[in-house]
Amino acid sequence: MTLAGLPLSQLLMLGGGAASVTVLLYILKLRRRAVPVPFARIWDAVFRDRQATELFSKLRRLLSLLLQLALLALLILALGDPRPKSALLNGRHIVVLVDGSASMKAIDVQPSRIEVAKAQVRKLVRGLGSADRALIVQMGSLPSPLSTMSSDATELDPAIDALTASDTRADLERGLSFAVDSLRGLPKAEVVVVSDGVLGTSSEIAKHVDLSAVSLEFLPVGKSGTNVALTEFSVRRYPLDKSRSEVMLEVTNTNERPVQVELTLLGDGAVIDVSRFALGPSERLPRYYQDLAGASRTLEAKIRMADGRGDDLPADDHAYALMPERHRARVLVISSGNTYLEAALLLDEYLDVVTIGPGKTIPSEHFDVAILDGVADALPDSVAAALYLNPPEAGTPLALGPTLNDFGFDTWDKKSPILRFLALADVQVSKGHALLPIASDRVLGASDQGPILVSGARAGHAFVALGFDPRNSDLVLRVAWPLFVLNTINAFVEEDTGYVSSFRTGEVWRVPVASSANSATVIDPRGVHHEVPVKEGRAIYLGEQAGFYKLVTGSGVDATNGEFAANLSDLDESRITPVTELALGNKRARPASIGAPGRKREAWVYLLAIVAALSVLEWITYHRRVTV
Amino acid sequence: MGLLDLFRREASPRALRREPLFDDDFQRKLEMLALVSRRVFAGRLRAERRSKKKGSGIEFADHRDYVAGDDFRSVDWNVYQRFGKLLVRLYEEEEDLSIYLIVDCSTSMGFGEHKKFDQARKLCAALAYVGLANLDRVTVVGVNDGVVSRMPTTRGKGRIFKVFEFLSRLEPRGSTDLAAALKSFVAQHKRRGLAVLFSDLYDPAGFEAGINILRFNKFEPYVVELCDPAEARPALKGDVRIYDCETGEERELTITDGMLEKMASAVNEYRASIERFCAQKQVPYFAADVNTPFDELVLRVFRRGGFLR
Repeated sequence: MTLAGLPLSQLLMLGGGAASVTVLLYILKLRRRAVPVPFARIWDAVFRDRQATELFSKLRRLLSLLLQLALLALLILALGDPRPKSALLNGRHIVVLVDGSASMKAIDVQPSRIEVAKAQVRKLVRGLGSADRALIVQMGSLPSPLSTMSSDATELDPAIDALTASDTRADLERGLSFAVDSLRGLPKAEVVVVSDGVLGTSSEIAKHVDLSAVSLEFLPVGKSGTNVALTEFSVRRYPLDKSRSEVMLEVTNTNERPVQVELTLLGDGAVIDVSRFALGPSERLPRYYQDLAGASRTLEAKIRMADGRGDDLPADDHAYALMPERHRARVLVISSGNTYLEAALLLDEYLDVVTIGPGKTIPSEHFDVAILDGVADALPDSVAAALYLNPPEAGTPLALGPTLNDFGFDTWDKKSPILRFLALADVQVSKGHALLPIASDRVLGASDQGPILVSGARAGHAFVALGFDPRNSDLVLRVAWPLFVLNTINAFVEEDTGYVSSFRTGEVWRVPVASSANSATVIDPRGVHHEVPVKEGRAIYLGEQAGFYKLVTGSGVDATNGEFAANLSDLDESRITPVTELALGNKRARPASIGAPGRKREAWVYLLAIVAALSVLEWITYHRRVTV
Repeated sequence: MGLLDLFRREASPRALRREPLFDDDFQRKLEMLALVSRRVFAGRLRAERRSKKKGSGIEFADHRDYVAGDDFRSVDWNVYQRFGKLLVRLYEEEEDLSIYLIVDCSTSMGFGEHKKFDQARKLCAALAYVGLANLDRVTVVGVNDGVVSRMPTTRGKGRIFKVFEFLSRLEPRGSTDLAAALKSFVAQHKRRGLAVLFSDLYDPAGFEAGINILRFNKFEPYVVELCDPAEARPALKGDVRIYDCETGEERELTITDGMLEKMASAVNEYRASIERFCAQKQVPYFAADVNTPFDELVLRVFRRGGFLR
């Protein structure tokens, strides 16, 4: 026999206290009520008959006390929930996966799907048997356990209260994998998925997760799905005219009937455009806004039905974007004359270009970038970064390899912000040198004979080195040439041409940071601060909330602030029509059965309270002569 | 009610209420009673009361032989003419009746919301008014274990307000000892007369001694027992500790319906014993129920006789 409830020590303490109270009540009960009478002598005739019943009356009261103490002992023992060990092991082990995705914010059921799901889970927990154990898991982009595997309502209830829906999609595969791992080796393993069924492609999940050892149950939530969503939202400045920008967005009607939609664009919080248009059934409508003016930093898009009503999922009716900040980069060109280079630099009006000849005194003011054309003059600290074109042996940050002839780019880093979208496959170079990078350097482009484009840093100063004179190639005749030059400058001044105007929630974000700090603080749209690590100049953060974020690095006067935006932008989540069945390949989830409340051990607590209340009631009624 | 009140003794009889006991309605009823008493008992029971003494009244009583020193004016010359004997006319001497109204002011009289005490005071006031209206000498006395208060002897209808004032000031308190109280009463009042005792007769020493003291001292006792039917069947049940409201004597009882029946019998038996005693001693006895209107009770007193002759 094992006590599954309160331990023996607590039971003894509880029993002692309760027995003391009972005896006290008994003593008080024995105290007779004093009643005045006008003439006590008259009662003497009655008093004589009382003597015979006095002994029996005392015995009856003693029996009453013993009965109450016995009742109390049984109830205290019941609090301990004594049961055979075998019965304890035979309890169910349940992992409750509650969908915390954006679709659970839908308000087709009141007050929302997530609140209905919480109510359902509460019923489920109330219906657990005393030997059953449950683990509450919020299923977002990552599964988040909110409790331990427990049967204690005081632990499970707060976990249920903590369930929320975020602006992400739910990763069912990860959730199920977590559940299966949690239940490994436990008998009567069950997984209950509480969801609206908007879980992406679930057919592949069965192939990756072994559900053979667990019983899968499904508790559907939601009843309808009228929704119009902003499924894409992006903004960029024109690379060659950063005063102008263009916006691309996509509006999707997830319903099977046409709708009239009103779209509002807000720049820096002010309305800059309102348009109305019709969307056909299941139509995805991309819209472009070119030469958009009126916004310098933030951009928001809102949609609603043309008649003013909202849809069932407000979470995807609002999208956010931040435009890259504009910098006027200062560029120092050390060259004996290069028309192609000068032409490329003329394309960006936001460049302050200073040109000097080789060997001349370098101005003392700050330069974001120095372009060394065929030279390798020593650079002062006031120059932040350098682009070496066909560097000489002496003074170059990295060593030169063998001379190369008739070569080209055989491989290049297409993800590098410097080479992104550049077509380098058929660039022909007549003469150059291979570069010999060190371990920390990064090879951006290489021919089959060796690296010809390398980036790295020396003494805190970044550099990019091109192993040939562009004029000895047809690169200068291509569109790729000015893009290469401008991309390199932008990379040095943190104006990434691949600037992400908004991140997608539910993914790990790598946000560029300005300083070399090891950690940063992300302030989410709700104002909550999160300390996040910084690796390779980027803050790593898994965001689950759409809106504008702030990023703070450093502290005090060295603190630098940045901003970025995040959007749901997930068409699957916007399709909120609930499903009533969950099928994973051939495995079909059974409908979850919610037990009747009162089967849990807590029923004994209620019982104890009732018995205590009855006892007090009996005492009062007895003492007040109601029941005797 | 606080929790601690569960463990306290129930409150003792409440303090005397200060509501007007003798209001206008009460006084109108007194006038009616005075008229009724004259009409109903006219010619048969005159209010004026004559003593057995022969004296200088106007009602002829008897003749006796003339003796030296008698007043010649009282010689019956007609008899002398017819019989040749000197006889003197004797007249019944008229005398004021002294009515003593004795009100029990012990704590038990205030038991049960003062019903007994209020009824006793109303009856006392009514009889005092009738007595005053008939030109009798009325004295009101409050007693418990002694004479607690006394209103000087008075006469005349106009003095009724003094009676009201006196009765209003009385309060039920202290224990009952009729023997000691009435012994003190007779010592203070040498003039004999009608002594009406308003009491519940809850005397631990026995009610008989008090009544006997009146009898033995040549007073004409008249017993009005105040009865509250609620006392015969109290609203009690279960384990209780009863205590006497006057003496504090305690009894522990577990009260059942059977016991309540016995209690009712015991109360009836006690009253019957009072009635038996009064009948044996030829003392007029009257049971006054607190729930019966006082004017009806006064009429019953008149009909029963003994108060007015």
